[in-house]
Amino acid sequence: MALMRRSLLQGSLGFAAGSPLARPYIANAQAKTMSAWFAQGFVEDEDIALRKAVAGYEKASGNKVELSIIPFAPQRQKIVSAITSGVVPDVTQNNPAEILPLYAWQDKWIETEDIVETQKARFSETALKSAQAYNDVTKKRAYYGVPLRGACVPCHTWKSLVEKADMKMADRPRTWEGYFDFYKKVQDNLRKKGERKVYGLGFQVTANGVDPAALFNAFMHGYGGQGIVTPEGNLNLDARIREAAIKAAEYLGGAYRDGYVPPSAINWNDADDNNAFHAKLMVMDVDGTISTEVAVKAKHPEWYFDEIVTDGLLYPTTNDGKPITCITAMLNAVIPKGAKNVPVAKEFLKFLIQPEVLQDTVETGLGRNLPPMPELAKTPFWQNPKDPHLKGYVQQGLLGPTQPDYYVFNPAMAEVYAQHVYSKAMIAVAKKGKATDAVDAAFNEIKEIFAKYPIKQS
Amino acid sequence: MSVALSSRRRSIHRWRRRADAVGSAVLSVALLVWWLLPIYNMLLIALDPEGETEFKGDLWPSDPTLKAFAGVFFEGYWYLKDFWLQFGNSFFIGAMTMVLTALIGSLGSFALGRMWRGRAGVISTAALLLYTVPVYFLVIPFYLLMHKYGLNDTLWAVIAANVTFAVPYALLILQWYGRLVPLELDDAARIDGATPVQVYMRIYLPLMAPALAVIGILAFLTAWNEYLYQFILLSSPGNKTVAISLATFFDNEYTPWNYPAAASLIYALPPIVLFFAVRRCIAAGLGSRRFRQ
Amino acid sequence: MTATTVLDVGASSPGKRRSLWRYWRGNLKGSEFTWALAFSVPYIAVFLGFVAYPVFYGLWMGSDPALYSDVFSDVIYQDTVINTLVFVVLGVNLKLFLALLLSGVFMRPGWLTKVMLMLFVLPWAVPQLPAFISLHWMLNGEWGLLNNALWILGGIEGPSWLNERWTALGAAIASHLWKWTPFWTVILLAGRMSIPQDIYDAAKVDGATGLNRFLFVTFPLLANLYLVLTLLATIFLLGDFNTVFFVTGGGPNNETHLLATLGIRNAFDLARPDLGVAVVMTALPVLIPLVIILMRKLRTTEVQL
Repeated sequence: MALMRRSLLQGSLGFAAGSPLARPYIANAQAKTMSAWFAQGFVEDEDIALRKAVAGYEKASGNKVELSIIPFAPQRQKIVSAITSGVVPDVTQNNPAEILPLYAWQDKWIETEDIVETQKARFSETALKSAQAYNDVTKKRAYYGVPLRGACVPCHTWKSLVEKADMKMADRPRTWEGYFDFYKKVQDNLRKKGERKVYGLGFQVTANGVDPAALFNAFMHGYGGQGIVTPEGNLNLDARIREAAIKAAEYLGGAYRDGYVPPSAINWNDADDNNAFHAKLMVMDVDGTISTEVAVKAKHPEWYFDEIVTDGLLYPTTNDGKPITCITAMLNAVIPKGAKNVPVAKEFLKFLIQPEVLQDTVETGLGRNLPPMPELAKTPFWQNPKDPHLKGYVQQGLLGPTQPDYYVFNPAMAEVYAQHVYSKAMIAVAKKGKATDAVDAAFNEIKEIFAKYPIKQS
Repeated sequence: MSVALSSRRRSIHRWRRRADAVGSAVLSVALLVWWLLPIYNMLLIALDPEGETEFKGDLWPSDPTLKAFAGVFFEGYWYLKDFWLQFGNSFFIGAMTMVLTALIGSLGSFALGRMWRGRAGVISTAALLLYTVPVYFLVIPFYLLMHKYGLNDTLWAVIAANVTFAVPYALLILQWYGRLVPLELDDAARIDGATPVQVYMRIYLPLMAPALAVIGILAFLTAWNEYLYQFILLSSPGNKTVAISLATFFDNEYTPWNYPAAASLIYALPPIVLFFAVRRCIAAGLGSRRFRQ
Repeated sequence: MTATTVLDVGASSPGKRRSLWRYWRGNLKGSEFTWALAFSVPYIAVFLGFVAYPVFYGLWMGSDPALYSDVFSDVIYQDTVINTLVFVVLGVNLKLFLALLLSGVFMRPGWLTKVMLMLFVLPWAVPQLPAFISLHWMLNGEWGLLNNALWILGGIEGPSWLNERWTALGAAIASHLWKWTPFWTVILLAGRMSIPQDIYDAAKVDGATGLNRFLFVTFPLLANLYLVLTLLATIFLLGDFNTVFFVTGGGPNNETHLLATLGIRNAFDLARPDLGVAVVMTALPVLIPLVIILMRKLRTTEVQL
């Protein structure tokens, strides 16, 4: 029986059978059913690719996977309800990503080191770090996630609006402030031409949603203020960080104060800046993934290929010309404690993280998600010279300098984001407050939050 | 003297009446705008070929098309692939919630109000305890409970939740309404030898029909508006509802908003039809009846 | 009340049990008692099967005193309490007053009333999530439909509704009224329709019309219902997170959070449902008296029969 399945696997799954790693995980002859909650894809092909991978596993193992594809908001609520009540699925994605460290802290996941181990050499360092988290019960950091894909925050620009202002894309400075100042000039020129409602910068100076934290982090890094949380999970608020935070708050809040950001940005939700950008109401937007571009590709190929520019390869440097480390958020699969079919779940995940399977799911998603393995960035799909976005995006989020988001090191940061501490600092400056005061207040609040999440150093 | 006074009073009266008319006209228009503008906003988005008017600032559709409605109707957009299946699930949940709430509510209120006649004390109002914790925070224990009953990921789990939350206020309304049906009617019937079932069927239900219609429509719309319990209690594709499917649209960085707007407007139709079917029943209610002993 | 007399009958004597038994049976004879029990079974089953456990679980989740120091140390908690008070006091009273007025309007005969009623119940039938998000866009200061309409039709530059605390909270209240007034109007409409026509006929003979008829005939008859509904609406409104969550998102600058939205944030964004329950539990000192008044009100209403 088992033998038959094995040959079936080799016959029908060319891509899996080709890998010497594919076989050993599929040794289970007893058909079992496991449940998995995955996030809804962004384009239909993503769901199709996921179903294909699941079908591949089912065929190879003889087990059955009850797959639920769930939208984002419900998935968060379902995971919290499941973990709290103890009625859990066998596998779920860490959707939203910070749920992995938050629940690792409470000792709610099963360790995954044996799964990650099978592909350890291939994963990027950021992916491996993102899969680990601190457990406050065992007082240890361990693997709780299995990296599936990543995403980072590029800068998007409407080339047509820049040209409308009689300016050239090629003239954009590559240093941090020069880069963003350029768009202020674009707006000034547009105003002179009588364009009243278009703004230069689409900064999410809001205390709503997840975008503002990503924006503030990008600016902290742009000002050389990387490492507010150390990989060991300690808070670091030294002079360098403080200076970067003050500059970030001043630039972001100041742009709003000076009228370069749409007034409604102070209370945007995550969808609003996308809508405004899509309606060409702002020249540039700092926002996660290249999904806007991907989504318009079919309907407006001219937008995709010509009008919208994403700066991945040409991502600005710090003011003194150093490359910037980008934050890549990783989506992991996790196995909750109390799962009924842990062996099957592990086997299923080992199947999913085979490079061929990962490549298939990421590439059918049109490149909205980054693969977690550098080798998968070197495929013709990502390196396609005719595509204006993919090569730069994979460079920025995978091949170039990257790091995980800070909540990976300490879940306190998830609370800092949820409390919108950074947003408050930006808004204080936007309302004509002093950046130093705003940052001092923010840092005090951050200290209080971190006091609730002490990490024991080994 | 008295003539002058009365004429002055009359003119004041006339002036007041005119002010009343103007005032109420202004109020009605304001109210109408307030009520319809958000719906109109959704319609604008639904009629746009790409659903992006929300940030364009148009007052009327510049290029109106029924594309989105067709997309919903024929399940043309991939998020809406199972729209009618989901619609059926939503409707089943709503209809069952309505029927069960009316049934349990009427049986309970008959027993408590007309048989025990208020002596059941605490029991009759204990269900109101439910409201001490806001409904949304009970979703986790409810999920656990449904798992124990083996009802997780079935439409019945959502129906059970809806009925649970609708029955207390249904009972409250039925009790209040039942006050207006004289108990002597029951007593007379009982003396004539009618069993409680006969009293319930022949006297209570017909006389309470308007109140039952009201709680039915309230229960239906409670179910129609609810989504968190559906998110959490339902998982498999065949059990999804329109509310879950609409949530998919709000996750993306880029969404053609015309589809969810059109789907929402289509979703709003069944309650409106139901409401009008039921309205006649409410209007034919007690007001026109006379009880003579 | 009978209840006190029953309780007075000798403590722990068999007499008590018998009289309690008699009290429970009331005037029900033989099979009638069985029937009464049978009729109550579904309701009692719902209570035991679905109400008791979640409520106790919910209360238990929020029972750890340590949670409350976390709740009170939240920097936006105080603002949130003020917002919640404003939201509840204005929301409940405006909503019910409007419902009371409108239920009178919809009593009138004629096709116009029917059309109006249909338009009026529409917001109630639209699913909340898209409806509130569409409101969020409509209220956008630069590009939203409302300000565009004000500008084009009246030349008025409307404010950025969602950018200031009080206009944003006002917008949330207006949105809540828009969505939920129909619910309460229908209840009050039914209440009005239940008033027997002969009472009005009698009032007419006495010369009561218009406002007088409302003040001295209609309202006294509805007053009890109105009070019960006020309490019920208060309880429901305290649990409403959707309006603020989607219309203002708690913004600007976390200034329009309610206890319910703060609770939802703690429960799902921070993965701490216990902390979420604890936030809403801080309203219990207000909520429990309301529930008790409601329970009593209901009982006395029954006894009055």
